Formats: sequence, C-alpha cells, structure tokens
Amino acid sequence: MNPATDRLIDTRGYIFLAVLSAAAVLVPILTLVIPDESAFAMPPYLVALFGKYLCFALLAVALDLVWGYCGILSLGHGAFFALGGYAMGMYLMRQIGTRGVYAHPVLPDFMVFLNWKELPVAWWGFQSFPYAMAMVLLIPGLLAFIFGWLAFRSRVTGVYLSIITQAMTYALMLAFFRNDMGFGGNNGLTDFKDLLGFNVQATETRVALFVASCIALGGGYLVARAVVTSKFGKVVIAIRDAESRTRFLGYRVETYKLAVFVLSAMMAGLAGALYVPQVGIINPGEFSPANSIEAVIWVAVGGRGTLVGAALGAFMVNWGKTFFTGALPEYWLFALGGLFVLVTLFMPKGVIGLIDQYKVRRASKKPTAEG
Amino acid sequence: MTRYAQGRAPARVQAISLQSQARNRFIETFSLLLAAAFVLMAALLIAPKARAQSPTDVLTYLTTDRFPDTERALNEIGTSGLATAPQIVEALAANRLLFDAAARKLYFADESGALFDAATGAPAAGISPDDLKRVRLNNAVRRSLNAARGALTLMSPDPARRRAAAEAVFKSRDASALPLVESALEKESTPAIRKKLEEARAAIIAADASAPEARRLESLETLKERGDQDALGTLATIAAASEGRVKTSAEAGVAAIQSRLAMWRNVQNVWYGLSLGSVLLLAAIGLAITFGVMGVINMAHGEMVMLGAYTTFVVQEWARTNHPELMNYSLFIAIPLAFLVTGAVGIFIERVVIRFLYGRPLETLLATFGISLILQQAVRTIFGANNREVSAPAFMSGSFDFGALSIGYGRMWIIVFAMAVFAALLFVLRATSFGLRMRAVTQNRRMASSMGIDTNRIDALAFGLGSGIAGMAGVALSQIDNVSPNLGQSYIIDSFMVVVFGGVGNLWGTLLGALTLGVANKFLEPVAGAVLGKILLLVFIILFIQKRPRGLFALKGRAVEA
Amino acid sequence: MDHSVTTSLLYLDGVSVSFDGYKALRGLSLTLAPGEMRAIIGPNGAGKTTMMDVITGKTRPDEGDVLFGGTHDLTKLDEAQIAELGIGRKFQKPTVFESQSVDDNLLLALKAPRGALATLFGKPAPDTRLRIDQILETTRLKDHRHRMAADLSHGQKQWLEIGMLLAQDPKLLLVDEPVAGMTDAETAQTAELLRAIAVDHSVVVVEHDMTFVRDLGVKVTVLHEGAVLAEGPLDVVSADPRVIEVYLGR
Repeated sequence: MNPATDRLIDTRGYIFLAVLSAAAVLVPILTLVIPDESAFAMPPYLVALFGKYLCFALLAVALDLVWGYCGILSLGHGAFFALGGYAMGMYLMRQIGTRGVYAHPVLPDFMVFLNWKELPVAWWGFQSFPYAMAMVLLIPGLLAFIFGWLAFRSRVTGVYLSIITQAMTYALMLAFFRNDMGFGGNNGLTDFKDLLGFNVQATETRVALFVASCIALGGGYLVARAVVTSKFGKVVIAIRDAESRTRFLGYRVETYKLAVFVLSAMMAGLAGALYVPQVGIINPGEFSPANSIEAVIWVAVGGRGTLVGAALGAFMVNWGKTFFTGALPEYWLFALGGLFVLVTLFMPKGVIGLIDQYKVRRASKKPTAEG
Repeated sequence: MTRYAQGRAPARVQAISLQSQARNRFIETFSLLLAAAFVLMAALLIAPKARAQSPTDVLTYLTTDRFPDTERALNEIGTSGLATAPQIVEALAANRLLFDAAARKLYFADESGALFDAATGAPAAGISPDDLKRVRLNNAVRRSLNAARGALTLMSPDPARRRAAAEAVFKSRDASALPLVESALEKESTPAIRKKLEEARAAIIAADASAPEARRLESLETLKERGDQDALGTLATIAAASEGRVKTSAEAGVAAIQSRLAMWRNVQNVWYGLSLGSVLLLAAIGLAITFGVMGVINMAHGEMVMLGAYTTFVVQEWARTNHPELMNYSLFIAIPLAFLVTGAVGIFIERVVIRFLYGRPLETLLATFGISLILQQAVRTIFGANNREVSAPAFMSGSFDFGALSIGYGRMWIIVFAMAVFAALLFVLRATSFGLRMRAVTQNRRMASSMGIDTNRIDALAFGLGSGIAGMAGVALSQIDNVSPNLGQSYIIDSFMVVVFGGVGNLWGTLLGALTLGVANKFLEPVAGAVLGKILLLVFIILFIQKRPRGLFALKGRAVEA
Repeated sequence: MDHSVTTSLLYLDGVSVSFDGYKALRGLSLTLAPGEMRAIIGPNGAGKTTMMDVITGKTRPDEGDVLFGGTHDLTKLDEAQIAELGIGRKFQKPTVFESQSVDDNLLLALKAPRGALATLFGKPAPDTRLRIDQILETTRLKDHRHRMAADLSHGQKQWLEIGMLLAQDPKLLLVDEPVAGMTDAETAQTAELLRAIAVDHSVVVVEHDMTFVRDLGVKVTVLHEGAVLAEGPLDVVSADPRVIEVYLGR
C-alpha cells in the first residue's frame, strides 16, 4: 500500500546485498587467487573470522525479526543458534569415523570414552548431510514451536517472556553440560575432520563456508524482508505496537507470533550450523544466557526493526570484541557493559537511526540553503 | 519414583554415618594413649570381678601365631586386668605388635620403632625387631580388635569417649563384651550414656542366639526404640539370622524403623529445602522490591549480592589485620556496611541510568545487564578473578542434633537471618512513612506527585533499599558460596524465577515462592539428581507461568493492565 | 429461551464480574435489537468499560449469559473469534497502529481473511483500493493517507479508529467515548458520522457527553454500580429521580 516502505528491497537493502555479494566474490579471489606474499592477500584466519561474523549477523537478523518487528525480546535465541550448531556438530562427528582417537567406526570418541556400546537414538541419521541440515532447521523450529505455543497462547508477554526465554536457554545449558545427555558434556563436540568430504581446516573449505555464510545472510535477509513487507508483516508490526487492538480486529495474535518466532528460530539454527565448522567446536557454553543477551545488544547497536542494522550491529560489536580481547582484554567487559548502557540511553534507534536522523536533517537544511 | 527415592536416600544417610564413624575412630586412636592411664585404673578396678584368665595367659595366646588364639586373647584382654592392655591393643591395630615365638614373649613397638616388653611396658633393651614376628590380623580378628578397643574405653572418665565406646560395642554386637558392658552400666551415671550402654547390651543379647527368647524379645524392643540407621542394620541382620518370634519381632522392628527413617528423611528434605529456600529468599527479596514493586528489571541485582559478599571479605580482611579480636563479629559489621555500600551503588545506578528508562522495561533490562558486566569486571580488576576466602565465625560452625537430624548452625542462622530481613522489609513497607510513600508512588505516580511526594527521591530510595537488601544477602551468601566475581550470576535467574513464581508485587508471594522452590528442589534432588532437578524446576516454572502468567499471588483486574 | 434471545443481536443476562472482591458488574442485563443504536451512560465505575470487555471477550464473566445473534455464546470465545463474528470495538483512548500509515491501518482493519497464511501469501481482493478510498472519504482522511498514524491530531486518530471499525464491516460496533477530547465542531461531525454508520450497523455508544448523546437521539441505557438503572429515551431517563440522584448526589 505504501510504495516507499513496501518494496522488497529498499535502498539500504541494495547497499547491503551489494556489499555481501562483493565480499562473496572478492574474498575467494583475495585468498585463493592472489599469491600469499602479495599485500592484498587475505590470510585464512581472517576468512574464518569474517565468516564467524556473518553467522552472528544472521543470528542478529533473526533476533531483529522477533524483537524489532514483533516486540518479542527473546533472551534465549542463543539456544536456537546452539541447537543448530549441535545438529551440524553431530554430522561432523559422525564424519570422523575411524579417524578418532579410539578409531571406533560409529561411536564418537567421547562415547567410547564413556564406555557406551550403542549410538543413542538422537544421533541416528546424522551421518547423512541432508538429514542433518533438516535437523538444523527442524530442531530449533520445534523447540520454538513448543515453547512459543505455550507462551503465546497464555499471553505471556514483555519482560516475563524475556525472563522465561532466558530460563529456557539456561535449562538447556545445564542439560547439555551433563555427560549422560549424550552430546559430549562439558567438552561439547570438536576435532572435526571433514564436511561433505572436504577437510574443514583447508583454506578452500573455509572460503566455501564464508561464501555459504554470505549467501545464508543475504537469503535470510531477503526472507525476513519479504515477511515484514507483506501484509503479514504489517500485522506483526501492529501486534508490536498495539497487541490487544490487533486482537480486536480479529487477528489470532498467538498464531502470528508463533510463526515469526519459529521462522526466526530456524534462521538462528542455520546461523549456528554455519558457525560450528568455521570455529571448529560447539560446547554447552553457547547456551549461556549471557550469549543471548549479547546478541540482543548487536541488534540494539545497529538499530532494531531495520534488519540491515542488526547485521551491521553484529559486525561492529564483534569487531570491537576481537579488537578488545586482543589488545585490552581487561577492558572488553567495561566496553560491552558501557555499550549496553549508552545505546539504550542515547541511541534507542541504533546506528541506522543516527544515519536516518542525519539524512533528515540534511534534507530539511537543503531548501533553506537554496532559498 | 518414590521407591527409587527410598532406595537412594538411605545410602546417603549411611554414608554420613560411616563418615562420622570414621571420625570417631580417628579421635579414639589419638586420644587413647593419653587416656590409657585412666583406662588402666578402671580395668584394674573391675578386674577382680570379671577376670576370666590370668594376664599372662592372654599374652601367651598372642604368641601362638594362630588366629583363633589371637581372637581369644582380644576377647579376654579387656577383663584381664593387664596394665599394658591399651598399648597392646593399639599396637596390634597399628601392626606394631611383635612376638618371639621361641621365648613366647610379646613386645610392642612405638611409632619411632622402639621396643617395649608387653607384660610390663618397660623398654626392652637388647632385642632386635628382626628376630621377632608380627602378630597377624584377619577379618575375624579385626572385629574382635575393634570390640576390645571399644571395651577398653567403656570405663573412660571422658563421657564423650565412653559414649563412643558404647556405640562401638553396639555396632560390633560382640558377645564377649557383655560382661564389660554390664559392669560399665553399674557405674554409669550419665543418663544418655546409660541409654547407649543399654542399647549396646540389647544389641548383644538380641543377636545372641543362645540367650533366652524373652530377653531377646525385650532387647529387640530397645533396638526398635533407638530407631536409627544402625539399629535398622542390626535388626535386619538379626531378622535374617533368627527364626520364630524373634524373627517376626525383628522384622516388625525393621519396618517400624524404616517408616520412622522415611519420616525423618522427609523432615531433613524439608529442612534442607527451607535452608535453600531462605537463600533464594535472600537473593530474591531485593528483586521483589525493584522488580515486583517498582517494575524495574534489574539484571545487575546479582552483582549487588556479589558486592555485599565482597564487602564482607573486605571487612574480614580489615579485622584480621587490625582487630583480630573482632574476627568473630565481623559479620555484624559487614551486614550494615554491605547494606550501605550496595544501597549507595543502587541509588547511583538509579539516578544515572534507570530513571531515564522508566516505562521501558526491555531497555531497562538491557542497560542493567550492561551495568552488571561493568560491575563484574570492576570487581575482577580490583580483587582478581579467583575465589576469595571468607571464614565462618565460631557461632556459625558446628551443629546440634534434633531427632535423627543434625542441624548445622550456619544453615540455621541463615534461615533466621532471611526471616529477619523479610520481617524488617515488611515492616518498612507497611508501617513507615517511607513505605507508605513508596506504595503510593508505585500505585499512582501522578497522584502521589500531586500530593507533594517527591517521586524522584522515592524511586531512588526504593531502588537503594532493594539493592541494599541484595547486599545483605551477599553477606549471608559469602558464608555458603564462593566469593567470586561470578557469584551474582548464579543467583540472578533463580531470583527472577522466585519473584515470577511467587507473583510480582507481593512480598508474601516471594516468601512462599522461595520456600516452595527450595523445598521442591531438595525433594527432587534425591530422585533426579541436582542438575536434572534444577532443570525440572525451570521447566516447571516455565509451564507454570503459562498457566498463571502473573504468579501464585496475582493481582487481578484493571490495575494490572496499566 | 424467551423471544428476545432469538431475535436480539446482543443479549446480556445476569452478567457479573468481580476483580479481587470488587464487583464491577452485578447482574447486568441488556438486549439490543438488530440495526439498533444504543447510547450507554453512567457515572465513573458504573461498569461501562467492563461491559465492553465482556462482550469483546477480554474479560470472562463470573456468571451470566452473553449471546450474539441469538446463537453464539460469547463467553466461550476469545477476542479474535468474537471480532470474526462481526463485533468491532473502538477504545476509550484512541488506539491506532502509530508506526504505520493511515492507509495501512485501514488495510489491516479491512474485512479480509485473517489467517497467517492468507496475509503472508494471499493477494489483496480487487476492490481493496476502492473500499479504502471510500472510508478515507467518509472519515475525511483522504489527504492524510500516507501519513504515519502517530502524526495525526487527536480528533483524526479518533476518526481513523472509527474508519477502521467501518473497514471491519462488523454487525455490531462498540464505541467507547468517541468524542472525548474533541472540539465542539468535531463532536458534531462525529455524531453525524455515527448516525450515518447506524443506518446499516448496530451500534452501542458509551459516552459521558450529554450534548453528544442528545445529538445521537437514540434510546439510552443508564448504568449504575454494574447494573441497569434506567432505560428509555434521553428525556425520559434524565427526568428519572434515581438517575438524577446518581448523577447529582443527594
């Protein structure tokens, strides 16, 4: 109905997709084609680092979809991310085969170590890549469905919802720390060998994963954008702004919330699945409530309700984290904590909001300058 | 599930009693030599009456290198009147009892290896340990040895040791100790120890198949009355080994004790649950003010608790170096100080950050989470990342018995403290003008403001109050948890669960919520294990919130919608 | 079931609601005929808003019957189902979707499938544009169609909300204090608008403003302490000594 805001890809979106496409083309060239000694050559560790940022950006976009557009502040999105990561990790573990320390053809090392005789049912099928990828989406989606169905149907909203999402990821963390859950306990899943037959450590594989992450982020963005620009998206925004009004118009608010929540959880799961082979490990620490809250601040820094801003925020905060933990490890938590406070107090619309404000100011100045 | 619980929990109780057994034995060994002289006198006193063999016979039995003889010697040594009996028994226990098979002479070595003549206790000069053989032990001998050690201390002047000895006899049920127990009973004047001796006698008689049935049945009753884990074990053994009326009576005793123990186990679970619940209450009660009454989500609440714990640490360090005499009272300095310190930090946070975010709960949540990160890192920078030691004052260590339950003073005082804080807070909110103003502001800010209440001041003070209470909680938690920069994080989720479960804006709900969750946790733990129990509780609360989104004590009606 | 149940559009009988011991409604009974317009007046705390809440499913009554169209038991349905049956509601405080344009507000309200799949993948009906234009015309918001709802004046928001009600095309409109905070001119225009709507809809209007109620010129029900005190034309009702007592005090 509104030509300016209803386009699938707006100006901001074109810039974002252009940058992503450029990265997806340039990074392979800089890493694989240009000789190592050239000043333009990109070292493989940087590829993995940026690949990791891309996964965080996808998680941020997923979170922005529920928080920025539907007003659901989830403090448990790290759980969906981690579940997707575990599903991928399980596939990678099954690919190790006899190359493990105990050289067991079926059981991963930690199960042999725990003296298990049989593969737990939860692990069945994970030797198949398509099955594992389906689980990457289905498991977070299913959890989100059950959790959301219970929560939204009973109209748990606002901070209550935030607190119970936090309790959800906390409970999962405690559960995954247990050895008898069968997911590697404390140590999680690691020592991966190959993915679809390619060595996960190889530079080529890393570049491929980077490109896959670019595509996933771009695709995730487009899906989210398609959702929020549709009439469905308008309903979702209406729910954010005036939930009971929307209900009195005859919309089943819980169905809408549930749909957005599940979609977002699946996107988070995909992000986690791409993250795990790039960092080489997944452990229960990924479920920690602090991780989920950190993802929220990425969205807040970039500007919630803008999708592009969420991705931008994820990049900026994580770049800052990489910088601080390398140069001034003592001060990273001060910086992050300060960021939480400053953004909520002074930048409620984030970086994108600042840019928009600047644009509006310039636009309003122009006529007077001319006249 | 229930059957499983009954199967598991006794194992725990048993483990505890085994531990205390081990400790008793340890004390025994160390103090035995000290008390040896007294025991000797006692042994001499009863010797003429209960003597069975001459002292020299006992010594001879120990030199035959045959287990039955060694056993016999041990069974008789207590009543033999032998002056060196305690040393001999202890030396045997420590594998330092040696004999010369040819000369039929017995020696014992002390810890340094010096040899003494076992008959006289005089140093044995000119004998080399290489020429002697060790008196050997097997399980049967060891049992007699323990009984002998127990019997030798039955006459100790130290009541605690007599008591322990009577317990040892009770557990060994060694028939040969009966005469000693009887004679000890004649002399014993302390009622509690008399009871123990009677129980020991009952255990011996009841287990003795040759004793008259009437006496055995009577003894079984005594055992049943005792009713603890050891009595249960004794009765079960007797039931398995006997027939007829004795068996039925023993079995009835087993059943009676089992149900009694099950009852006490529940009492213990409730007690531990109340203890955990009061810890939860302490952690959550400040949150009940800031979240429940003011509607502010303070994610830095856990860090306020942590600051309180560090205040305790600093006060103790100060006392340790400057006023060691105050060490035992440092908690009393720390409690008000922690309240002031964290209260001031709370007011500062409210003035600088939170007041700009009223009405935006999700933003408040994020900002206060940022503050919690800053506080954690600040404490880590100042005090280091490692755990800090906070010692317990004398009045908080130790325990006393209540029925079959051992109640630690530490736990008890924390419960008392939690209830006192709760009562004080209730008083402040209900009966002071500050409380009245605070309730007025939370119910209708504009109206309160137009009536001349300085709402800004009330907000700041209320937040300070909530934070200060968190600080006091930190003092208590420093006694039971590691004082580290992460202390607060481990409580924040639990605290929110308590407040949400109990019902926001209702202090009584918080109290009931905390105690319910504490007790539920302790009842779940033996069934599901600690971690799984906690997970189950979290899942339960998540489900509970679906049913009652506003907690146990929900406010209803229009006021809630605002 | 008596005759009035089956022929009435809305039928309330013996409805009681209490919040923590406070009785907001005590045995309220009310019948509305199809096509009728009714004004509900009453002092603060008379239970007007609670009655709206009960009809729209926001509040469940402790006891009593609430029937719509003679057959639908509203106490068993939730807000969305009741809205789908054809009951629209305008709130006391104007609630529109502030961060969306006037156009989008009307689009959301427009009668169309409400399911998630329909809104995600469905195409708008061909006459959507036309119907929105009509409503913009009726509510005098044509020039503001691309503005954000948040930027509208108070009176414009009230009209937008009434426009959203029209877009919903309900059988029954519940309108809570439509002229609160309006200028006299706006009030008169609103009365005109409501009368126009009442031609082919049943309307229940809750209002304090007596001039406005007089302008409407319809049957009036007076609520007091959660029950009906008097019912009839405004002139008759306002002459009732009990009503005078309630409004003016002893």
